[in-house]
Amino acid sequence: MFVLLRHLQRVRREAALPRRQGARSLAIRHVDAGSCNACEHELTAIAAPQYDFQRFGLDIVASPRHADVLLVTGPITRRMEGPLLSAYEAMPEPRRVAALGDCALGCNVLADPAELALPLDQLLPVDLRIPGCPPTPAEISAAILEMIDGG
Amino acid sequence: MSPSHTAGFARQATETVAVAPVGWRDACLGELDRGGRFCGAYAVGAGAGRRWNALFADGEATRMLSLEVGEGEAVPTIVDLLPGADWDEREAHDLHGLDFAGRESLRPLVAHTAATGSWTVPVSGEGTYQVAVGPIHAGVIESGHFRFHVVGERILHLDPRLFYKHRGLQRAAEGASPERGLAFAQRACGACAVANSVAYALACEAALGLVADREARRGRTLLLELERLYNHLNDIAQICAGVGFAPGNMAFAALKERALRLNAELVGHRFLFGTVAIGAGPEVSAARADALRGALRELGEDAASAWRELSFAASVQARLGGVGVLSAEDAAALGAVGPAARAAGIALDCRSTSPGLWYGSSFAPAAPARPSGDVGARLEVRGVELPATLELLQELLAEPIGAGGSDPGPADPRGVARVESPRGETVCAVELTVARRLGRVHLRTGSYANWPALAHATADNLLPDFPLINKSFELCYACADR
Repeated sequence: MFVLLRHLQRVRREAALPRRQGARSLAIRHVDAGSCNACEHELTAIAAPQYDFQRFGLDIVASPRHADVLLVTGPITRRMEGPLLSAYEAMPEPRRVAALGDCALGCNVLADPAELALPLDQLLPVDLRIPGCPPTPAEISAAILEMIDGG
Repeated sequence: MSPSHTAGFARQATETVAVAPVGWRDACLGELDRGGRFCGAYAVGAGAGRRWNALFADGEATRMLSLEVGEGEAVPTIVDLLPGADWDEREAHDLHGLDFAGRESLRPLVAHTAATGSWTVPVSGEGTYQVAVGPIHAGVIESGHFRFHVVGERILHLDPRLFYKHRGLQRAAEGASPERGLAFAQRACGACAVANSVAYALACEAALGLVADREARRGRTLLLELERLYNHLNDIAQICAGVGFAPGNMAFAALKERALRLNAELVGHRFLFGTVAIGAGPEVSAARADALRGALRELGEDAASAWRELSFAASVQARLGGVGVLSAEDAAALGAVGPAARAAGIALDCRSTSPGLWYGSSFAPAAPARPSGDVGARLEVRGVELPATLELLQELLAEPIGAGGSDPGPADPRGVARVESPRGETVCAVELTVARRLGRVHLRTGSYANWPALAHATADNLLPDFPLINKSFELCYACADR
């Protein structure tokens, strides 16, 4: 245990992450609507010690009922359209929608068109677009923080 | 159709044998008797010219039994002989309209039917009820639905319902050139992008009559092991998260992040996208190879000390034994592969039979000290394989890797390749048209092979242990749904 904690201490020292000024928070609900799993790996990584997005008050929550932001990955398969819209409906207002990765942005999507629903921005009002295949953890954190700071 | 035989080349030879419907089951049994191992089946074509092809691994070679399916004819099932063929048959029924005779039921797999009773196994008795989970899960997890049949908190049976992420990638790739098709294989799964692309490239090369040269084989092996490195680190982190052990989760998440950064430094992409090509391999200069060797040595030392610490964390170890047990017998019957099979004591690792890659004849599958088939054994396999992968990487990087190419070899309109992904054997079969376009691409990943085994291993466990059991297999949904 102490060795692991020492490892983490060293990683934190090397990363030298600045502390966030002021108290704010944002609860994010993630929905995978048909991604290749690379966006999920990077979204998980923003909690790793090298990024530690929780220091900004950002958190991934387990229910849309608790969420401020619906963060969507993937090109929206026909089979995920219903669950995605249900998750959005379950969110309290005000609520925002973020598209994570090129697929969710409708860019360079590889699929049989018959298996896809409409692109995300035609199903829901998209407030934040985070391009990349996949976007890096640093890019994801920066884009979300910009949305908070932008009001 | 006459059997075509190719041997003596640095590639996985595929022999095809045409079989009549009446002899289908005996032919499949015959493959098992001669030591073959079922590794997937797929349907090709439409209407009267449909074929049903079953693949059997036999050392370095792959044998294909091919059955012509006439209009209105049903294929004799092999699921009673080979339970591992269950998903293959159900998928062929849903996507290619094949019917199978002699099965108890053909519950929809890829097709999503509305009535729950149509796709679940009937479970009844005093106090039984169902728990539905997903397709959206609590954390950052891929989408898929699990229907648990339980009594109290004890799981009697699990019906996984995947394919929420079905993008029709194989169908979409048809008609494309082999080069263009590479993108579909790669995007089937971000975490197995290299394994899927290499399997696809090797299958295409076999069909095109190309044999990857020494440098291409070394380059691809390097990429495969870099992919395994970050995946194994990730899987250990996830199992720690599954038992709520934050220091282990974060320490291994930090190590995985270091591995991803090394990937980005080497090839410009954290998940190694765009690094595999048909008839070519990645180049690594002497300076880059040296820098990577040094960084990997440091990473390996830190990973070793973190792993040692994890093995002494009594609160973690106490949660792993006897949970999610997959017996060797069930693993073999269900066709489990990769760490899941090795944790059950089955010495199966496709790397020991991959002539198209650079593993050498001395490669031996990892064997855990206690092949108990439980969560602990699956964790241990990752821990044992990490130093082996790091050692392989040091060997590969001992000299620079030149620009890989290919030499001419025998062409066959059909190519099959098997590659060991972080989750197990991934099989890719490619059939080309006369115009050298993709007529059919079939990708059967390690995750696809293991999902039925995972579902089986949950029976008789407590429902709250499912996330831990799930993480110990750490299968991709994307690569199964594709």
